Amino acid sequence: MRARDLAEEYPLVQLTDEALTAARLIAEQRRPGVVVVDADGKPVTVLPGSQVLRFIIPGYVQEDPSLARVYDERSGAETCVRKLEGRTVKELLPPKEKRYELPKVSGDATVIECAAVMARLRSPLLLVSDDDTVHGVVTTSHLLEVILSATGKAT
Amino acid sequence: MSATQILSVLVFAGAYVLIATERVHRVAAALGGAALMLALRLTDGETAFHSLDAGVDWNVVFLLLGMMIIVGVIKQTGLFEYLAIAAAKRARGKPFAVLAMFVVITAGASAALDNVTTVLLIAPVTFLVCDRLGLNPIPFLIAEVLASNIGGTATLIGDPPNIIIASRGGLSFNDFLVHLAPFIVVLMVAFVVVCRWLFRDAFHYDEDRVAEVMALSEREAIRDRRLLWQSLGVLALVLAGFVLHGVVDVEPSVVALLGAGLLVLISEVTTEEALADVEWETLVFFMGLFVMVGALVKTGVIDTVSAALAGAVGGDPLLAVMALLAGSAVLSAVVDNIPYVATMSPIVAELVAAQGNTPQSDSLWWSLALGADLGGNATAVGASANVVVLGLAARNGTPISFWQFTRYGIVVAGLSILLAAPYLWLRYFVLA
Repeated sequence: MRARDLAEEYPLVQLTDEALTAARLIAEQRRPGVVVVDADGKPVTVLPGSQVLRFIIPGYVQEDPSLARVYDERSGAETCVRKLEGRTVKELLPPKEKRYELPKVSGDATVIECAAVMARLRSPLLLVSDDDTVHGVVTTSHLLEVILSATGKAT
Repeated sequence: MSATQILSVLVFAGAYVLIATERVHRVAAALGGAALMLALRLTDGETAFHSLDAGVDWNVVFLLLGMMIIVGVIKQTGLFEYLAIAAAKRARGKPFAVLAMFVVITAGASAALDNVTTVLLIAPVTFLVCDRLGLNPIPFLIAEVLASNIGGTATLIGDPPNIIIASRGGLSFNDFLVHLAPFIVVLMVAFVVVCRWLFRDAFHYDEDRVAEVMALSEREAIRDRRLLWQSLGVLALVLAGFVLHGVVDVEPSVVALLGAGLLVLISEVTTEEALADVEWETLVFFMGLFVMVGALVKTGVIDTVSAALAGAVGGDPLLAVMALLAGSAVLSAVVDNIPYVATMSPIVAELVAAQGNTPQSDSLWWSLALGADLGGNATAVGASANVVVLGLAARNGTPISFWQFTRYGIVVAGLSILLAAPYLWLRYFVLA
């Protein structure tokens, strides 16, 4: 099986889209992240859900586990949503020099090749494209399903 | 001056310039200087490692190590977060009341823990409370670090320079409580009043935001109640040990090490976790400094400088005390007060001995402590805690510039020294 056979259609967001839109896509469709494209529709990077969390949870709370416990659920959630309001997808991404390398393979990449790229970049998503043609995206869950099926270990 | 004296002064001055200008890491500068002193035979292994007067002061090193371990465990309990949130709720979110409570908590904690640890503990909860109240956290952070340096002056363990002074001057924990703590309490009252004026533009009260602070649950901050009680119990024993160390004839360093060992033994904290917060770099920095200063003692430089200073003050103890207070404050504002006190301690010890160990001459130690500890507030680089808070603020997107800090710090440091001078004069010269 090749990457192009594994690729699924996947929602894309633009750099200028609202941050809340990206968060909603991840939340409502239970996605591990979204692919970010520029104005020409060219993939730029992957925005994993964990990066959205890094943006909405203040650094001092991430570093102090005791502080994370003192929020009540409702006002904690309101604080998080407030941080996304009026922001763009571009603002959610880390600075350019720290931005994740785009996890990408060509259509004829093997299953293990796909797994190796995702493992190296710790990405839950893998873009499959040849030149300007985007075939779709491979997710970790789909890839693991294929690997387990190949050995008859899938339930 | 002899050739060995000139050589030791050159090595010491070179290392000091490197430490002050931060051209190389301060540990590298101190260790490099110590190595050169040994290589040039300006001191030797026996003196460097075993001499009480001219070697590494192991009491200082192990007292710091023991307290770092204890503090590392207490940090994990969430006690500080609990206290700060409870205080903010008790203040009902009123900005000045919150600031006053935070600075009092910080100063109190700094008297028992070291200043850097205290500001590392109070800063995150300050960001949280200010965020909830819609306030700029910068005035709060600056006030806290200033309070931390003031509070740390009160006790033997509150600030590393005090540990050096205690060891070199043969002063006990109780000596610091009797001679410095009462003044620090008065200074803290004055500081809180000054904060009302100094940060007057920062206290915007938004009634709608108060509910967000009142909704925080401080009890949830305590993650491990058993560990909390174990830590508080051991800390109480250690503080009791410090107070009674003269009676039971045990050095403060031994008390701290026993406390650290007991806490690791009775709690479920692993050895790795207990040692994670030990600042090994600081301990090694101290060792390097002690070897360098020891070489100055061994070659007779300290004797020469002490004699010159004694001649300069003309046997007038009051002039000596005031000059030391002012000089220490000015120098500590621009250079790290740890190497400064490490260098000055043997000089002050000789001056005290030369004046016959009277109450007036002993006040030189308090003058050195007040000048060095409180002078550190004057600039953003005057004390380690100041530098740490500037780093924390920048990382959280609210950078504090050097001058932004300094324009508040210099007022507080100036006020502190202006109050310390009449305190020393009244207590040791008028009422003695």
